[in-house]
Parts: sequence; structure tokens; C-alpha cells
Amino acid sequence: MSASNTRSPVKTDTSIPRRPLLWMAAALLFTLPPFFDSLGPWIPWLFLLSLALKFWMEPRGYRLRSVVLKLLLVATAVTTVFISYGSVRSVEAGISLLVVLMSLKILEAHTAREFRVMVLIGWVLCLCGFFLSQDFATALCLLIAFALLVVALIQFHRGASPGTVWPPVGATCKLLLQALPLVVLFFLLFPRINAGFQFELRPFRSANAGFSDRLSPGSIAALANSSEIAFRAEFPGSSPRPSGPMYWRGVVMWHCNGMEWRAPYGAHGRSSSSSTLDIAGTAGLPVPSTNAKEIQQRITLAPHGARWMFALDRPIKAVPGATLARGDYLSSVQPIRKTRRYEVVSSEFTGGEITAKERAEALEVPASISPAVRDLAHSWAVQNRDPGGVVNSALQFFRTKGFSYSLTPGEYENLEEFLFRRRVGFCEHYAASFATLMRLAGIPARVVVGYLGGEYNDLGDFFLVRQADTHAWCEVWLAEKGWTRVDPTSAVAPGRVSLDLTTFLETSSAAGQMGTRRNALITQLLRSGIFTNVRFIWQTLSYQWDTRLVAFDADVQDVLLTSMGIASRGAVFLIVEILLVAIALLAIYFTWMQLRTRSRVDRVKALYEYFCRKIARLGVRREPCEGPLDFARRAAQSLPNESNRIRQIADTYILLRYARQPAPGMQDRFAKEVNAFGARTKLTR
Amino acid sequence: MKAGKFPLVYPTAGFAALLFVLAAMWYAASSQNSAAIYLLLFLLASVFLVSIPHTLTNLTGVTVRVESAKPAFAGDEVFLPVEIMNSSRATRYGIELVLADAGKTRERVDCIPRESAARLTVRFAAHHRGEHKIEKLDLTSCYPLGFVRASKRFVSNQTYLVYPKPAGNSQLPTNRSRFADNWVQQGIGHGDDFAGVRAYVPGESQRHIDWKAVARGQPLMTKEFAAETKGAAYLDFFELRFADVEEKLSQLTLWVIEAERARQPYGLRLPGIEISPALGRMHFHYCLRVLSLFRPDRV
Repeated sequence: MSASNTRSPVKTDTSIPRRPLLWMAAALLFTLPPFFDSLGPWIPWLFLLSLALKFWMEPRGYRLRSVVLKLLLVATAVTTVFISYGSVRSVEAGISLLVVLMSLKILEAHTAREFRVMVLIGWVLCLCGFFLSQDFATALCLLIAFALLVVALIQFHRGASPGTVWPPVGATCKLLLQALPLVVLFFLLFPRINAGFQFELRPFRSANAGFSDRLSPGSIAALANSSEIAFRAEFPGSSPRPSGPMYWRGVVMWHCNGMEWRAPYGAHGRSSSSSTLDIAGTAGLPVPSTNAKEIQQRITLAPHGARWMFALDRPIKAVPGATLARGDYLSSVQPIRKTRRYEVVSSEFTGGEITAKERAEALEVPASISPAVRDLAHSWAVQNRDPGGVVNSALQFFRTKGFSYSLTPGEYENLEEFLFRRRVGFCEHYAASFATLMRLAGIPARVVVGYLGGEYNDLGDFFLVRQADTHAWCEVWLAEKGWTRVDPTSAVAPGRVSLDLTTFLETSSAAGQMGTRRNALITQLLRSGIFTNVRFIWQTLSYQWDTRLVAFDADVQDVLLTSMGIASRGAVFLIVEILLVAIALLAIYFTWMQLRTRSRVDRVKALYEYFCRKIARLGVRREPCEGPLDFARRAAQSLPNESNRIRQIADTYILLRYARQPAPGMQDRFAKEVNAFGARTKLTR
Repeated sequence: MKAGKFPLVYPTAGFAALLFVLAAMWYAASSQNSAAIYLLLFLLASVFLVSIPHTLTNLTGVTVRVESAKPAFAGDEVFLPVEIMNSSRATRYGIELVLADAGKTRERVDCIPRESAARLTVRFAAHHRGEHKIEKLDLTSCYPLGFVRASKRFVSNQTYLVYPKPAGNSQLPTNRSRFADNWVQQGIGHGDDFAGVRAYVPGESQRHIDWKAVARGQPLMTKEFAAETKGAAYLDFFELRFADVEEKLSQLTLWVIEAERARQPYGLRLPGIEISPALGRMHFHYCLRVLSLFRPDRV
């Protein structure tokens, strides 16, 4: 046996070996991208700096040993994070703190145990990354980081074994591949118990999520790139689907300030009872003969911190825990701070009644509006006696006067600048200006903010509505129809209504609108085949990730479990069953690995040992130092009856072992002899 | 060497930290209802679970054989040569040998290729004189991830000897034995003074052959040397004034070493045991062995 091996004594305070540290550094670099996006810029840079410093310090044997210095650094870090975020209670601040402390830990760590702690912190950083963003690119980075951390850990435990790159990577791949079935099993079936322990992420999800009760220019455009999920809508059972584009009503804004609109302050508190009665009175009326469809929806709302709850066009009835606020939108009694699920019935017909007070409110305009704008509105009112005509004139105005739709329209001072000079805007510009113009023309108008469209998910059979789908439109009061939806954006960009925003923007950029911003080389590159292919694959993967993985949350899982008929059996039962399957799988892996690596069994040796055991049962035990010949001699002496047989077996054994080329059938003959030995002996005894 | 049937698995300290991280992930995932975080959680949990059979398998086919250790003085270190054999068809990584009895001494082999062996020397402190058994040896490994440790126990019959700790006065005692005055060391090569010649016995060192006599045509003769004729020292247990037996043994041990170093023949007198004076490694170790195994209660 060769003794080609390497050994290293285990010491208590060793330096971290360089190879695992390198893997670890690579892993940590992959956890960084989400932090660059969401955290203060100094934090990832500090992280990189400390990583570089560590690699400079390690070979020189420098250590951060002084406790005072460590405490000072930690205190500085915490203070800096506190100053830059104002508090440490928000998630960004928490994650920043964690990243900063991790940076310091990297500087400080120098023992074997600390390496394991660093790997675990690396996994926690992956978790933090998922908190900040869950898009496909981030996920890919974080999963690579996860795998690299496993590589680092394996490399660490391999010590100084030969092979630096492929053996640990190979071992990791094997581990990950074997883990894959378990991951799928857990992911699909492990009950997502929500034990009600929800922590509130006020500054993280709530205030930032979605629009506010104030519609100012640019407020919706700011959301256009957010892929965060606003809510998910299902149409349960055989409920009819909406026929046209889906307008999800969020909040209704009454107060006009030219380009800026806002919802009435305290509308919820003040009107929760009275307006419910009010609306209930109107909604309770038999719906006019237009036999409008009633559409039932089941909505899963992501927490957004405000009170509004979304429903198609016009919700008919309030849902538990919410009221129908003035303007026919659902307003929750409590701010929505956790995921909420509710069923609501909407009517496609907007309709409704108007009280004198509401009418007066719906005609209020600020005094600051310039005469030119007032004149424009008056001219329409004069031209058309019919309010419908006024609406059409206004839409015609937007359609024909060279208005364009853009995500980045720039800042506007007032309505006049938008209507007569620049004429570039996003949906909130059009909705706000249109509603203001209608009020000036004497038609009661209000602005509705909500979502438009949504992307269908065939896996869970639901529509996913993201923050990017945020939209603003108008409602005008027409005597014969009641409140009627008018979407001025559709006059400017007709495609926007039928497509979701991202697709719309992509198509318009493909048409060359945005092409001017890139230089020729990049454009060429973008148009070349390989790049298009790569981009296409990337988009497909990204879409799959979003729709199949990220969308598979507790609610979708619930649907799946129900359809499989195992949801009713209870979570504990399910967990036990899943663990049993997991254990069975682990047992299979174990057996397989045992069989694959088991030492080679030598048939002749095994047979000879069997023979020795048989003789031992007759009272002659073979000494460890005894050769087969000596043993046979001794055994033959003590068992004279069997002496011939014993000698015969010993001779065959020696031939099999030491003959240059044993006869072909000899092994079988030996087996026969050994097997026959016991039987004969028993008979003779 | 006997081995347990199946390796034991127990969690390491890292496991507690892992559980904490998993709990944090679970908490985050369930409170955010985030599938991506659930994916991360299940990935980590699955990789951990899958690593358990890997850890277990890492010990199959690995056996250990303890070789005989040289005796050591109490207070010094015992060097125990050990061979770890890997008879399986896979490389085994990060195998640690733990001596359960000798203060959890552990020694690590990073890698043992398939069907080969690794030799290593376990060093541990020798505390008490006497013959000690290496009863329990554990082979452990936490190879792929280090969150669980597999451990296989082996039982060995191998013993090692610890001589008493040499201590006390290094001045040899002046008392002489009964026949110390006319005692002459008859060994070969154990002294400096020429004592005469005798017939050569095949196998003896050629350095002491009287070559000049061979040149004169005489048969092969071996020159004999005798130690200095100071006489032999009897190292006597009974003449020591210490109260403690161990202290006496330590003193005797030191004298044995000093006498051997000074090439002065020495004998040993213990309760119930008397070793006549001699010199040389055999005698030296024999004396030390007797001192090491001395049991005062048997007297």
C-alpha cells in the first residue's frame, strides 16, 4: 500500500487556508450586485475594500487582534449606517448593517471556526439579496454565490488534498444534483405555514410599494420599472372574465391642483360609515337595464401600507374589513401591512349616482390655472352642447396636437406648459390634465389611480399585476351614463391600453424611438443574431423564473395542493410524509454510494475465510500468523477424518493464490470443495 | 482491531449555527410569502441533508491499525504510530483520528487515496507511569460540509509504556554493593579500558577484532574492554528517605539514566525485585520497565 497522502495537524488558531478563502471571496462578490442596486453606494465598496485588504493581510500574517480597534470599527460602522438611513429599523438599513459587519468580520476572521461562520453569513447575505430583489439576474447571482459557498466549505474540509479547482467543484455539483429532487419536493409540497408571525417592513415594502394618495407628475413613471408584485387576481370558478382591458380601481382623487391631484384627506376615517351607507344606497339600487356583467374576483394583495384595495372597474359590495369609499373604491379599515386575500364582485358598468355636494366637489378647480387653459376648456364647452361632445373634443385635442407618450417627460411648471408647449407626458400627465380640463368645461370629473392589465400566469391560472402596471385614468359624470371612464392616455398611445407597459415600451423602442440614445456600435451589436438569441433566451428564462418560480408562493401552492387533494390532510401530516420521502431518498443515496465505493471482494479469499470459519466451528482456529500450509497441517492432525479434504482445499487455495496461471475452472472447483466441506462434516458427525 | 458496525452521526457546533440560519430563512420566507426565499431555504436544507450520507460514506472501508509505541517518560510525549487504511474504491477526505482516552488528542489526514493507507504519528502527553492501553480510537470525519460528524469507534489491544518521570538528585548514590569492589563489567564495548582478548564469535562487531593479532597469523580474537572500575552502584529503593513511593521511583529513574549516561554499571533493588548490576540499552530499558510497572500494593 502506498502512503501518498498529505496531512496537516489540527491546530486551534490557524490561519484560514488561502484556497477556501479565494472561493469564499468569489462567492461574496456574487452576493454584491443586489446591494449595489439598493443600498448606499459606500456599503458594497467598503465590502470590496475589506475583501482586498484581507487578501493583502493574510499572506503577511497581519491580524486584527486589538479588541479596542474592533469595537471602534463596529461602533463607527453602526453609526455610519444609522446616519445614512436615519434608523436601523428599515430593511435596507438592517441589510446594510449586516453587510458592513460582514466586511469587518472578513477583516477579523482568522481561525477555522470563523471560516464556517463566514460561510453561514454568506448564506445570510444571499437571503438579504433576495429581500432586496427577486428578479432573475439577482437570483442567478445569488444562486451562484450559494454554490460557491458550498465549494468553499468543501475545499476547506478537503484541507491540503491535491486538486484545487475541479475536485471541489465536482463534489459540489454532485451534492447539488443529488439535492435537486429534494429541493423540488420541498418547494412544491412543503407546506408554507404562515404562523402569523409577520414582521412589518414599514419603510421597505409599504411606503415604497405602489402609488401614494397624491398624483403628481412623475409619480407613476417612477414605478414603471418596478417588477414588484402589486396583487394577484383570480377569477374563481366559472365567473365571467372581463371582456375589455382590465382597469383595476385603486383610489379616486377628487382634489384638483392643476397637474397635481390628490385623494381627500381622511376620506377613510370620516366617510367609512356614512359613505358606506351612501354608496350602499346607490349600489343597492337595481343596476340599470344594461345587463352589465358581474365579475367575481379573488385578489391576493401584497402589503403596501396604504388602505386601498383593488378591484375591477367598480366594486359593488364592500368586503369584510373594508368599506366602499366615496368614488366607489374599496378602502380597508386598517392599513394593509400584510398579504391579504379577499373576494370581491365588480360590475363592468361604472354608473352610480352623484349628490349635489359631490357634484360641487367634482367641479372645483384651483384659481391658479392660467387663462389660456381656461379658454381652451371654454371653447369646447361652447362648441358642444352635449358633455359627450366635450369629452370627444378633448380626446381629439390630445390625439391631434402632437402629444407623445414617454416614460421620462421631464418636469413641468404648470398645466399650460404641458398642454401648449412640450406636450410629452406619461399617463398621470394625461389623466390629471384631462380631468382638470373637464372640470373647467363644466363636466364633473375625477381621477382614478390603479392598475391596468396584468400578466396571465397559466401555471396558477391567475393574473399577476405588478407595480409597473400602475395607471391613472379619468372618470367624468355624464347625465345619461353616470360616472364614465375615459382614458386619455389611450388617445395618445392607443397601444398602451391593450398591452402591458413593459411590452409597450419595448415595442416602441424597437420602432426606433429610443434607438437614438445608443450609439451605432451598440445598436449593431444588439441587432446581431447571437446577441438577439442570447437576449431572447435570457428573457425567456427570466420570464420563467418570474412566472413559475417567484409566482409559486403560498397561495399558488395552496391551489396545487388542493388540486392534488392533499391540502385537506393538514400541514403536520404533509411534513411528516415529505420527511419520510426525504429520508428514503437519503437512504437510497447512501446505499448507492456504499455499493459504488465498497472495497473489492476477493472471491478466493472470501471462500478461504469461509473455510476457516467452518474449521473453527470444528474446534481448530487459525492463528493470524499461520500460513495456509501450516494451518492445514495442524487442522489435519486434529481432524483426522477430514485430513484429505483439508489438504486438498489448502492445495487448491495455494494454487489459486500463487500459481502463475491457475486453471480456468479452478475457482469453481475450489468453491465446490469449500461448500461441500461443511455438509460432509455434518453428516460424518 | 475491532470496529463498531455502523458509524455514529452527531451534529457539530456548526449545525446549531446552520439551524439558526435556516430558521431565519424560514421566518423571512413565510413572512414575506416569497417563493425565492423558500427556494433558498430548501436548497440549503437539501444540500445539508444530502451531505449526511456523504459524511457517513466517507468512513466506510476506512480502518485503523495502531503500531507499537516507544516508551516515554511521564511528562514527555508519547509518539504513537498509526496507520489508517482506506480499502474502499473512493478517496476519503478529512479523516480525523481521535484518541478518546488520551485527552481527545486528534490528528488529521486530509486525503487518503483509494485502496491505500496513510501513516501518521499521534502525539499526546504521558501523564502517569505504567502500562497503558489504547482502548478506544475514533475515526471521525465531517467531510463535505462540516455540519455533522460521523464517528466510528475502534477498540485496540495495543499498549504503551510510560516510565516514571525522572526527578530528584542527579548525584549517584555512593553506597557500593556487596561485591562492588571486585566487580568488572564483562560486556563488550561497554568500557574504555582494555581488559584482554578472547575468541571471536561470528556476528560480533568487527571493530573490536584484534587485527594486529590477525596480521601476526593468530586466529580472530576480540578485544574486551571494561568499564571504569569504580564499581557498580546499587540503586536501592529502601535507602531512599522520601515518603512518597512515586518520588522514590522518580529518583531511581533519574539515577538509572545518570548511571547509564555515566557508563557506570548499576543494579536495582525494589521491594520483591532485585536486578543485578549491568550496563547497556537492554538493561536500561529493563530497569525502567520494572520501575514503570512497580506496584507498591503488591509488596
